[in-house]
Amino acid sequence: MRKMEDRVASIQPIKSKLRLKILDESDIRAIDETALKILGEIGVYMPLERALKTYAESGASVDFKSQRVRIPADLVKTSMGRAPKQYTLAARNRPDLDLKLGEQKATYFNNGGCASSTIDFVTHERRPSCKDDLAKMAKIVDYLPIFSFYWPIVSATEHLKSSTLHELDASFNHTEKHIQTETVQGEIQTRYAIEMASVIAGGRENLRKRPILSSLICGIAPLGHDKEALEAALGFAEAGIPVGFMSMPTMGATAPASQAGALAMGLAEVLSGLVLIQLVNPGCPVYMSIISAIVDPRSGEYRYSSSFAQVTNAASVQLAQYYGIPVYSGASFGGDAHELNTWQMGRENLYLPFMEVMVGADLCCSMGLIEAVNLFHPARVIFDREIFHAIQIISQGIEVNSQTLLFDTIRQVGPRGHFLGQRHTAEQLPKLSPSSILFQRSKTVGQRYEDPVKLAWEEIEWILQNHKFPELEPGVQRELKRIIKEAEWELGIS
Amino acid sequence: MTNEELFEKMYQAILKGEKEEAASLARISTEKNISPLEAIHRGFVRGMEEVGIRFESEEMYLPELVMAADAMISAMGVLEGEIKKGAERPKRIGRAIAGTVYGDIHDIGKNIVCTLFTVNGFEVIDLGTGVPTDLFVEKVSEEKPDLLLLSALLTTTMPGQREVIEALTRAGLRNSVKVLVGGAPVSQNWADEIGADGFGRNAVEGVSIAKELIG
Repeated sequence: MRKMEDRVASIQPIKSKLRLKILDESDIRAIDETALKILGEIGVYMPLERALKTYAESGASVDFKSQRVRIPADLVKTSMGRAPKQYTLAARNRPDLDLKLGEQKATYFNNGGCASSTIDFVTHERRPSCKDDLAKMAKIVDYLPIFSFYWPIVSATEHLKSSTLHELDASFNHTEKHIQTETVQGEIQTRYAIEMASVIAGGRENLRKRPILSSLICGIAPLGHDKEALEAALGFAEAGIPVGFMSMPTMGATAPASQAGALAMGLAEVLSGLVLIQLVNPGCPVYMSIISAIVDPRSGEYRYSSSFAQVTNAASVQLAQYYGIPVYSGASFGGDAHELNTWQMGRENLYLPFMEVMVGADLCCSMGLIEAVNLFHPARVIFDREIFHAIQIISQGIEVNSQTLLFDTIRQVGPRGHFLGQRHTAEQLPKLSPSSILFQRSKTVGQRYEDPVKLAWEEIEWILQNHKFPELEPGVQRELKRIIKEAEWELGIS
Repeated sequence: MTNEELFEKMYQAILKGEKEEAASLARISTEKNISPLEAIHRGFVRGMEEVGIRFESEEMYLPELVMAADAMISAMGVLEGEIKKGAERPKRIGRAIAGTVYGDIHDIGKNIVCTLFTVNGFEVIDLGTGVPTDLFVEKVSEEKPDLLLLSALLTTTMPGQREVIEALTRAGLRNSVKVLVGGAPVSQNWADEIGADGFGRNAVEGVSIAKELIG
């Protein structure tokens, strides 16, 4: 088995020195103006009485029958002005694992989610996902610094209606890093999810001060929201838990077949959610996300890794920056490939995270999934780490100073010499050649080719067998189980 | 305009996905006392068949298919009233009931499926999204379809597909209808586990499986 090093959890956000702008200022203004026009004239479907009332009381035009809200531009601007520009997503015990959002200095990565199938850790066969997969992945996330926070990566499908709470239970129990739920929905589940987080944080007030849990709410493009998702958003917001709204415009199907149109519509959709949060709890930490895709013009399948979609997703970061709020911008999300270690997989998963760090996204997800979010492939995590390291190196650009220009060394070697025997070379060359499981280099005698997928599995197995992390107090563990039981009773699950 | 010219225009209207034109040609045919079935089969259906062929040969894409289906539906809207007056019904290869299961309001995938089934000669009754299990059972009992198409996009709503199949069994209707399941988290394994008759990874695959099942 490949041996790795023992270590405590750490995080390694990418701090890109390279900068990229996809939209210029007039593009951003035009997209924003169109989004505000969409909100004011077309409106958004909001199927929750409380949300409609909140909007009606705040001066929006609300049609209670069709559940449509038309939001004037000044209400959008005033409300968004109340959203904090910077805040912290806290880790369970250690501030050095905290995520500082809105500073535009670092991009924090996490794993993708939430798939419904897993490649089994032992048999390597495909099967429906379960709670134990979540626990194992949480442990991997805890170990690998490339992960700054954890999304429950798969669904605890065996628990049906209470699956989202079991997902949190497995997550909190196996990593100290920040947890972000993208699946908790509905008033009941949200109430119990907050209770679980409070127990770990040491009470509601502590949770508010150091939110160890944040939430991501997905709208339903075009221009709609889900009732249970809105219930979750309001519940989390009232508890002071950071709430993000994500729009997933699929060009050609749930959005116009145009990148600018998809951005304007996506922005309108997320703003309709974020403004609601600011009306309910002014100053609540929020973030936004627009993750576009295209629909396959023949099969109707979701194509996330289209290059048209990827550059659109990176551009959405600039829209969030325009509004002065943190942004979660998706990376590969697993891409569309059906096999690991293929040309397609590599192509799909490099560009977007690379653009994201250069455009200054706060949060970025990618790792661990294939088949467009449907399948968790544990070995992929190690492949993703390779991409992450490549991006980290490239995004640092080139350092130019007397220590790096090395005039004296060049003089010493002079014409027709070589640099291999130089102390500087001995120190620096290995750093320029980090180890990789993907690259097949020429082998010295006796070495043989090793399948990267096999090597990746060995690393995963090492982590699962060897990584130790501080477990929750037994009392807290019991309390989480009790809360889930109570929730299941209220949900009518015996 | 001769009847032949009218049929040719109907064919073209479907091919080009012209909704208003298709409805207006349908009205002209009723004014000319052409039998609705003749208008459908010699005009509009020929257009749909050609669209199907061009889709298969990759000359046409999904948006054109949807536009053609919309034009077909708009023509049928005019002609259906006429059909009900007479006894004759247009020939279809099968009837299907479709819907997204309870608790799930996603409908784009289901709509694409309905369109493709329509284009391929199925009569489709679309129950919409968030359909309660009982309503599926009630409609299967009433409409006696050949196929029941169940969609779910969320892992949390997927179990709704199993509930519908179980409810059909309890109602003694399970053997009267072939059940196809679909949606992003749905797999062949899941279809097997819940006892569905078929699973389509996408709408095109769904249609071909449906044809096999009722063929």
